[in-house]
Amino acid sequence: MSPTKPDILLVDDSPSDLDLMREALGASPYQSRINTALDGEEAIAWLHRGGAHSGAARPALVILDLNLPRKNGRVVLADFKTDPGLRSIPIVIFTTSQSRKDILDCYALGANCYVSKPGSLDDFRKTVQSIEHFWLQIACLPS
Amino acid sequence: MTNAGTATATAPEVPVKSGTALRFLLLEDSLADSELILHELKVGGFQFTSETVQSPEQFRQSVRAVRPDIILADYNLGDWRGLDALAILREEGLEIPLILVTGALGEMTAVDCIKQGAADYVLKGSLARLPLAIRRTLQEEGLRELREQAEKDLARKVEELARSNRDLEQFAYVASHDLQEPLRMVAAYTQLLAERYRGKLDADADKYIGYAVEGALRMQTMIRDMLAFSRVGRNGVGCEPSDCNQIVKEALLNLKASIAESGAVVTYDGLPTLPAEQTQVLQLFQNLIGNAIKFRGKETPVIRISVEPQDRYWRFAVVDNGIGIAPEYRDIIFAIFQRLHAREEYSGNGVGLAICKKVVEHYGGKIWVESEPGRGSSFYFTLPAVSVDGVDSHVPYQT
Repeated sequence: MSPTKPDILLVDDSPSDLDLMREALGASPYQSRINTALDGEEAIAWLHRGGAHSGAARPALVILDLNLPRKNGRVVLADFKTDPGLRSIPIVIFTTSQSRKDILDCYALGANCYVSKPGSLDDFRKTVQSIEHFWLQIACLPS
Repeated sequence: MTNAGTATATAPEVPVKSGTALRFLLLEDSLADSELILHELKVGGFQFTSETVQSPEQFRQSVRAVRPDIILADYNLGDWRGLDALAILREEGLEIPLILVTGALGEMTAVDCIKQGAADYVLKGSLARLPLAIRRTLQEEGLRELREQAEKDLARKVEELARSNRDLEQFAYVASHDLQEPLRMVAAYTQLLAERYRGKLDADADKYIGYAVEGALRMQTMIRDMLAFSRVGRNGVGCEPSDCNQIVKEALLNLKASIAESGAVVTYDGLPTLPAEQTQVLQLFQNLIGNAIKFRGKETPVIRISVEPQDRYWRFAVVDNGIGIAPEYRDIIFAIFQRLHAREEYSGNGVGLAICKKVVEHYGGKIWVESEPGRGSSFYFTLPAVSVDGVDSHVPYQT
């Protein structure tokens, strides 16, 4: 684990899901710094460190919902994965959708993995913590 | 058609466009012959208007402008033939009956004319037969139009039905899909409430929160089941053959826990390979075997899967020694969300058999049950043995 606290960007338009994710991540040992974006445009601005986010840190991990207002998750994903400076940051799609088409589309656009949001509170927490654990601890990342 | 007698008296009494005058188009290069034909039409009692043309150009122009009800064409028209008129009609996209009215015509040529699309032919030596030939031709034409109209109506209704089915499927899919998100919110936060505030409010509050959690979680499983139900037949375009022996083996693997728990014995032997999608056939077997285990009696469950050929189908049987089903429930058990037992007795949403029925009917088969309470159940279903490209799965089985 790196000595500095890792940054995680959560992109989700649902305050209730953001709360659940914050809660789950807050209970984990990594003490990641949680940043949030509520729509696709804000996420893209954050990633390109533009506008209000000019001081934004480069996230170690992005957890991205698909159904977002303004620019949806696919647009954010595509934008991100076609930018040579950003494409190496892992993006985990985290969405209610279990549709085959969404899954295929996201992997085709370069998503690092696709996880569907579990229905029960307990599974939801465990899943969020597993995502964090895998990408921050188990996976070897470029940096 | 071959009899050229005095048939006018026996002409069928079918009113053909009564009230309006028939439009005749004569394709005839002899003025004398066309006069004879017109005379015969008058004698035959037709109310009509007529036009006589000779050249292909005139003919084309006239069929476009006049749209005649019937064409009377000479076989030999100098440098072209009455039969060539049929080609012009085809080019113009017109289906107007054409009767050849001609001098000598050998029997072979007559057959050729009919084959090429002439409605009938009448020899100029037997013009008295012309009215009968015309009436019969117009009658057939009327029937043909009726039939074509009926076919069009049917095709339209089939298309309407297919569209309405597609809309309904789409609705079920989208509804169940989009309902999941708000429901997940309810489920997660009632659970969070229960976790944080259990014992801090009062006993009633704990109970109410418990009901809310239970309701939300049950609705989640129902929506998942509804999605699974609406997905049946959605992805089945490619038709990979399914080896039922392999599929039953896989189903038993998926049911490992309940088989171990109940000690169930499942036997099957020599099942065929079917032209049907594997995931759907797996769902079918797994749901039926799963039910046979779930609805077991006091004895250890014994389940036998067998099959026999039946015309172009295989008839499968899944026979158990479970609790059985009363006769009045034999049909409704296949309806979605239909249950016969309290949730405390047997779990489940009542979707399994509905999915089985949908899979079987997707392939044009039937499913039914024979059972008595306390004497086990026998579920039967048929699936086609022959794929759409004609490969018959009976063949390797019967050798």
